[in-house]
Amino acid sequence: MTTPDQTQQPAVEIRDVAFSYPPSGIGEQGLEVLRGVTMRVEARSRLGILGPNGGGKSTLIKLILGMLDPSAGSIQVFGKTPNQARREGLIGYLPQRIGADLDWPLSVEQVIAMPLRAKLKPWSKLSDEDRSSIDRAIELLEVDQLRDRRIGALSGGQLQRTMIARAICTRPKLLVLDEPTLGVDIAGQQRFSSLIDTISAELGLTTIVVTHDMRALVAVADRVACLSRTLHFHDTPDGLTPAVLAQVFAHDIEPILGEVHIDAHTAVDCDDPSHAHHPDCGHDHRGGAS
Amino acid sequence: MSIFHADYLPALLAGLGVAAIGAPLSVFVVLKRLAFIGQGVSHAAFGGVGVALVLGFAGSSVTDNVMQSVIVLAFSIGAALVISALGRSNKGRLDTAIGIVLSASMALGFILFNIAESGHDHDEHGHAHGHHADEHHVIEEILFGNILNANWNMVWVTIATGVLILTALWWCRHKLIFWSFDEPVCAAYGVREHRTGNLLLILLAISVVMAMQVVGVILAAATLVLPGAAALHLSSRLPRVMIWSMLIALGGTVLGFMLGDAAAWPIGPSIVLVQSVAYLGALGSNKSLALLRST
Repeated sequence: MTTPDQTQQPAVEIRDVAFSYPPSGIGEQGLEVLRGVTMRVEARSRLGILGPNGGGKSTLIKLILGMLDPSAGSIQVFGKTPNQARREGLIGYLPQRIGADLDWPLSVEQVIAMPLRAKLKPWSKLSDEDRSSIDRAIELLEVDQLRDRRIGALSGGQLQRTMIARAICTRPKLLVLDEPTLGVDIAGQQRFSSLIDTISAELGLTTIVVTHDMRALVAVADRVACLSRTLHFHDTPDGLTPAVLAQVFAHDIEPILGEVHIDAHTAVDCDDPSHAHHPDCGHDHRGGAS
Repeated sequence: MSIFHADYLPALLAGLGVAAIGAPLSVFVVLKRLAFIGQGVSHAAFGGVGVALVLGFAGSSVTDNVMQSVIVLAFSIGAALVISALGRSNKGRLDTAIGIVLSASMALGFILFNIAESGHDHDEHGHAHGHHADEHHVIEEILFGNILNANWNMVWVTIATGVLILTALWWCRHKLIFWSFDEPVCAAYGVREHRTGNLLLILLAISVVMAMQVVGVILAAATLVLPGAAALHLSSRLPRVMIWSMLIALGGTVLGFMLGDAAAWPIGPSIVLVQSVAYLGALGSNKSLALLRST
């Protein structure tokens, strides 16, 4: 794993950000998704954003990418506004669901080159530097054999690697991956984790991975941010306790276990052998987190 | 009479011009599932005809003709932009947006047409009948143009429009392809999704309005679907798909002319028929190849 560099300018600086979606109908209120989120993502670090469905993870990503504007607060990516950073190709992005139209008669190489071609003047061709970026991305993601294959003829894993190659061909400094291991088995998650390790180390990337899967997160990240409308936790994965998780996932747990009352100071980690006889670690699961 | 006879030449050249414009656009139309857009914009143009009539441009003078075309074009581009905006506010469902704009424009067109007519019924100079005839003539000319009526002016307009549309397509090709292929993500790479989507719809609106006045509604709508749909069965490489689309559009036009001439059928529908057969042929060859490979 690469080591975060705290002396450098942060990769992402989020200050007191709030975001609400506008009302979707007459008489309805806007939906507040994020409020008061402040966070600093160090350059060359690997941040995992964890949180329940609807907790604002993907919205925060869209704010960092400049695809949405915050209702309040500010975001800077390498000292620039997200739109500037995006225009300069500093951000690579893999969306949660690949929504591309795979019926297009395009080869893997054409798809990978798309972000670079979109920046070209109409009469220009790809530069040698651009071509070597494409070759490097193809090599790193091991899609060399698929270079000329039609995009619609790929398997799910091949397609994901192609889209990651597309995300890094612009030589970004920040790679944002939204739920990259959704529906992937444990072996696949491990392969993915090692792939991200390799790419980040080779390219000196800062990586932000959004997930609601704990295993995927611990495998990939050196820092964790727990998000459920607001930021509940931002530290190393070691600091994640059951209390923190219960607090973040309270919205998901309540329908099953009833209202969850959390006291972070008294909550204990029942996986820790030293707490084996703690009353909260008994048979009543509700007591564990409340 | 040969289709290369001087009398046929403006019609043939106008038809080939329309085909050359429709060929690359049809690939985008088919892949973005916008096959309904040709029908939508051509019917929406009826609203533009209503506006032109109410504003008094009902004659057949050069000024009136130019003003009718300008108003219909402006109205159709406006309709395309409304379709785009409604589609965005409707979770990207362009088919619903096209249906709404088509119906509303047709309704507006009929109401304005009635207003224009009733205004002339009370014309103190008693020229009502002449005006009625003019108005019906305008509607027929604009909505149901006949390719055999094409004159050299139409050929020049078609060539100018063609140069404009093909240049715009070439100029923005990388952004248009990125947007069409992966609309949800292109914004993250600096491709302005709304601007790019609007550009394609505006180009489509211009080509439909131009094509329907030269060759009629049926051929205008068909030219934006059939060549691309057929070409996509013939290759899995975009440049080749574009070339196939162009060959089918141009070849279909020439063969349609020959068929229409030989069988004394109307030319526009003959072209559509030939291109439809080309589509079936492409589909059949694709399926046969797949079958051969699997055995």
